[in-house]
Amino acid sequence: MEDAATFDLGETLALVDHDWETFQMMVELFTEQGPKDLAAIHASMAGGDAAALARAAHRMKGALLQFCAPAALAAARSLEEAGQTGMLQGATERCAVLETELRHLWAMLRRVIEQRGSV
Amino acid sequence: MPNPSSSTLQDADRACRVSSPTVLVVDDEPVTRLRLTARLTRLGYRVIEACDGKAGLELLRRARPDLTILDWMMPGLDGPTFCEEVRCDPAICASQILMMTGHDQPEQIAEGLARGADDFLSKAASTQEITARVQAGLRTATLIRALEQTTEDIRRKQDILEQELRSAAQYVASMLPVSGPLLPGVRMDSVYRPALTLGGDLFNVLPWNEHLLGLYLLDASGHGVSSALRSASLATFLREESLRHQVGSKDPGAILTAANQQFPLTDEGHYFTIVFARLDLRARTLIYATAGHQGAVLHHRSGAVTELTKPGLPLGFCVPHVYETTEIAVAPGDRLYLFSDGLYEVPGPNGELWGRVRLIEAMQALGHRPMADVIAGIVEQATRWLGHDRFPDDAAMVGIELGD
Repeated sequence: MEDAATFDLGETLALVDHDWETFQMMVELFTEQGPKDLAAIHASMAGGDAAALARAAHRMKGALLQFCAPAALAAARSLEEAGQTGMLQGATERCAVLETELRHLWAMLRRVIEQRGSV
Repeated sequence: MPNPSSSTLQDADRACRVSSPTVLVVDDEPVTRLRLTARLTRLGYRVIEACDGKAGLELLRRARPDLTILDWMMPGLDGPTFCEEVRCDPAICASQILMMTGHDQPEQIAEGLARGADDFLSKAASTQEITARVQAGLRTATLIRALEQTTEDIRRKQDILEQELRSAAQYVASMLPVSGPLLPGVRMDSVYRPALTLGGDLFNVLPWNEHLLGLYLLDASGHGVSSALRSASLATFLREESLRHQVGSKDPGAILTAANQQFPLTDEGHYFTIVFARLDLRARTLIYATAGHQGAVLHHRSGAVTELTKPGLPLGFCVPHVYETTEIAVAPGDRLYLFSDGLYEVPGPNGELWGRVRLIEAMQALGHRPMADVIAGIVEQATRWLGHDRFPDDAAMVGIELGD
């Protein structure tokens, strides 16, 4: 059973008209693209580039909006705001939260796909 | 008969339904793009995709989709800049753009609309909202396409109409006498400037024999096609054979009296003014009659001017009505000018009309020059007063010069 704060499968499937194939492709894309976007967030923070942080976090937020993943979404939104305002204090902690939530989410998504595959 | 604009709209709408509308999705974030593409495909639309603004703009120009769904924040060309580029390009400026964003702040939506987006869609939008907004955008796209089609149809019909008007104008011009010698010792020069392609002014000279010349200048009220047709009809009545059969006289007063019977005021209130003259070279007399026409002047060789105008009713105002004939003597070197009010009732920048007095002054000032130059000079001065060369009414002038 998934944690609703991490991921709501029912709502996500509703967003894709309960089309499993589309959902599966979205998961594949996200598990491939998400780590790259996360790396971009890390790089922008390491370089102290607030604008790049806002862009990378915004992109991550866009993907998370498709998965009904409120905890990760809130963390990405918070990083985007930090980038937009240039207030990077505390961004490292927020990034750690995002990373943790993403790892939960990716694990949960993989589990959902595996369970479906084994049915 | 079906309403053309309504049928065009139905045609465009039908075409849109028969061939499924094309939606362009421009987003650098692949998961969002995939979900949206899947949703739109399920709705029966043809979907094309671009992964950034630059590629999206190229695809929009090439594929001309019915609707573009555009992400706000993208590397390189972002959504609002994309919109601005589209609105600046006449070929694609009517494209429907639905801006998609994770920001739902009112000020951002206002900025997007100000920079060229037609509507907004949240990245977190429900399937129902996506469907509704896409359908709304496509409805607008259908209306715009119908409007563009109707505009194109109107432009094509306008071209055909203008071509026909030019042909008709050439025909009217062919009815006008050619400048040059009319009879031994008599020369004619003229100018004809219709306000539109076709005009209601007409003049002609009728060499009845080697010493007798009929001439007239008529002005049909209004201008354009209907005035030109009415003028052509009166000109036909004034042909020599017609006058012989229908009037039985070459007396100008008798001719206008008969024309008055033939051409009553129209239901729309249109009428003619006319001056008809008969020049007898042997007797050296000018016999004329006018019907509400103020433009007739005899410019004597001495420089003096005799205005051949009398108060009187235009044709058609009162039926029956007898138009009187007046006779004056002419001498070698005299010039007779007939002209329409369109030549002197031209407003200057402050609305003041140039007027008949200024026209006659110009005629006298230029009197030492060849008659063709006098007429051209009068037109030039009227044009200068007007400030441009488009006369607001038909303008015509014909001059007859008696040689020594």
